[in-house]
Order: sequence, then C-alpha cells, then structure tokens
Amino acid sequence: MYKIGQYKATDLMSDLICKNYPMLLVMSRFGIALGFGEDTIDTACRKNNVDTGTFLSVVNLLIGEEIGYRAETLPNISIPSLVEYLRNSHSYFLDFRLPSIKHSLINALSDIENDANSIILKYFDEYYEEVKRHMNYEEANVFPYVEALLSGESVRSDYRIDIFSKQHDHVEEKLSELKNIIIKYYSANNNKLNCVLFDIFSCSEDLASHNKVEDMLFVPTITQIEIQKEK
Amino acid sequence: MVRRIHIAIVEPSVIIRNGIVSVLKRLNLDIDIVEISDMPQLQSLLEKHNPDVVIIDPTQIGMISLQHIKENLSGSKKFIALQSNLADASALKGYDEFISLYDSAEQIKAKVESIISENKQDDSDKQELSQREKEIVSCIVKGLTNKQIAEVLHLSVHTVMTHRRNISGKLQIHSSAGLAIYAIVNKLVSLDEIKGLKNI
Repeated sequence: MYKIGQYKATDLMSDLICKNYPMLLVMSRFGIALGFGEDTIDTACRKNNVDTGTFLSVVNLLIGEEIGYRAETLPNISIPSLVEYLRNSHSYFLDFRLPSIKHSLINALSDIENDANSIILKYFDEYYEEVKRHMNYEEANVFPYVEALLSGESVRSDYRIDIFSKQHDHVEEKLSELKNIIIKYYSANNNKLNCVLFDIFSCSEDLASHNKVEDMLFVPTITQIEIQKEK
Repeated sequence: MVRRIHIAIVEPSVIIRNGIVSVLKRLNLDIDIVEISDMPQLQSLLEKHNPDVVIIDPTQIGMISLQHIKENLSGSKKFIALQSNLADASALKGYDEFISLYDSAEQIKAKVESIISENKQDDSDKQELSQREKEIVSCIVKGLTNKQIAEVLHLSVHTVMTHRRNISGKLQIHSSAGLAIYAIVNKLVSLDEIKGLKNI
C-alpha cells in the first residue's frame, strides 16, 4: 500500500529527479549516474546495484509526507546500502561542497574591503573542522560498530546507537549562524557574495536532510536490530 | 538560552494537519513545528518531542483525558484545542486556547502569539545591544574570561554571565567566532585588538 505522494519502484527516475531536484544529490550519493533515459526507479537502481527499497525510503523520507518512521513502520532497508550512502554523503560535504563554498567565499570577499573578512574565513575554517570531527567520529566509531553488529561479531557491550544519536549535534546550525551574521551585519552589495549565500542556504538544507536520514531512518533501524539481538 | 518555541500538531487527517502547518508557517512566527499523526502513540511521541505547545482536536483524544496526558508530561505545556465540530463543554476543560477551523489567519496568529508570549521568559530578544552589552562583547572577543570581564567592568561574574545569555538571545550568535565578526563589522573592536588570539 502506497501513500499519496510517495514514490514507488515503478515510477520513472527522470520524473523523480526533475520534480524534486535536491534528489539529484541523493541519487548521486547512492552511486546512480545520470543518463537513465526512460528507466524506472527500480531499473535504474538495479543497473547500479543499489537496493531499490533503501533508495525509496530515503527519497520518501526527504520529500514525502512521511513525518518519520517508528518501529512498526520502519521500511525494510539494506543497511550496507544506507551506510554506503552516508559515507558518500560525508565525503561530498567534506571533499566537495564545503571546500567549494570556501573557495567562492574567498573569491567574493576579495572584492570587498572589510576588516571582518579574515575573521569570517577563520569562522568558516573552524566550522569545517567541526563538521569534519563530527563526520570522522561516525566513520571511525559508528559505522564499524554497525558493520560488526550486522556480521554478528561481538560488539562493544557498552556501546549503543543511541549514544551516537545523543552526541549527534546539528551541524547545520553553525553554518546558518554565519549566513545570518553576514546577512544582518556585513554591509555589501555584491553578486558573488549573494551567490555564496545561496550556496550556504542550500548547503544548510542539505546538511539538515543528511541529519534527518541519520536520525529518522538510520538510528531507528539500528536500534531495532539491537533490540532483536538482545532477545 | 532563548530557544524557539516547539509546537506539536496532533491530527491524524493529513489534509487538516497540512492545512494548519501551512497556515502556521506563513504567519512568520519564530516556531518549530512537529507533526504527530499517530494517535495510539500520542503519549510517547509527546514525551519524545517535548513540545511547548500542543494543538489538538479534543474529539480526537477519545477515551484518554487531557488531564491524564498532562499528568504524564514533564514541565508546563500549553494546549490549544482545535475545534472542527461542536464538542461538549466538559471535553474543552483544561485547554489554554481554542482555534476553530473557521478562524482567519489573523485570528490564529493572535491566539498563537498570546500563548507563545506567556511561554517566553522575557521579551528582550531581537533588540539592539545596550552599551554595557557592547562592552562585554568587545571583552569576549578580546579573549577575556568571565572572571576577567567582571574585574574590568566592576561586575559580578554572575551578572557577566546573564549579560552573555542576553547577548546570545538578542543576536542569535552563540559562538565567540561569530561574536568576533559582529564586533568587527560594528566597530566595537579593531582587527589588531583581536589578532593573534586563539579561540576566535
């Protein structure tokens, strides 16, 4: 049974992406390339060895009416697929998106004379380090824990996924703070700077989506596995 | 710290729920909205999301009484009854406000605002900084500790901390690096004064 507004396996991939362009990023993080022609979501996923159910769960969580999953309604997903998605997502922010924003920021500020420029860049660098610390923690602790849990290896008895969800602070907030400071107090009328602000707005939303997938799909799914194991 | 007001909309109908959400979003209030559609899970979801204000249709609660829900929740929460049809007066007991399905956007805004303002500790946010607060900002970005600021400005450490909280609330800036940018563009300090300092 499908709810209104949810995408299903037989819908065209091109419909999904053209009507919801942020899903371009989701697709790319699952490793699905452009050029899918008239393929359905299912066909495009299969061609790229992606678990269709996992792909749809992420897509419908991010665009649909879905308010969040609870234990009984958690979709059946492939955790290795989701972990792969989260890893790619981290690498996207750290290796591409944030460096690209920094590059445009340097470029925009170099046109404007203002004492605050160096401090703004410093703020951004610190922010980048914070995001990196946060994501590296997941790579070094959370994902290996989940992989061990799945393979049936003995896991640290003192660790549970909800420890991670408690530590999981919302990294997009500090980026929004920078954006707000520039908008409210930095006096400039510069096209390049406006472009950077657009980038920061969309990157904040993207980070919030990333957190939503972790908080509402990844963590609850792992919690269920922990509960079943303890039985 | 001043935080945004969390409002939970409890409503199983997607049409009505989305309608309320879309009206509230367009009112430009400083709120976060969480949607709850799953009535059997109501109690646990309210505990989990811990909203400040709950908007709920009294006829949807069914057998559970509002009193019962309130007893199991920590902290004081406001309840707004969403009236889609006539309800017995006894079912409306305990609600702080009433919104009818036929209220105009302005009426809803006035009702929600009055509920929110009771919840806020003070109205000092979103104002300009006072002279004293500006002095404190410049001390913070120069890297002084609370104790040092208290000594320089002849205040108690407690007062300094209160000022810092108010500054965060007014500016919505929570990091010292963010305050440094604010201080420079508003010429509270010069770049030389904060150069070479760590932690900024």
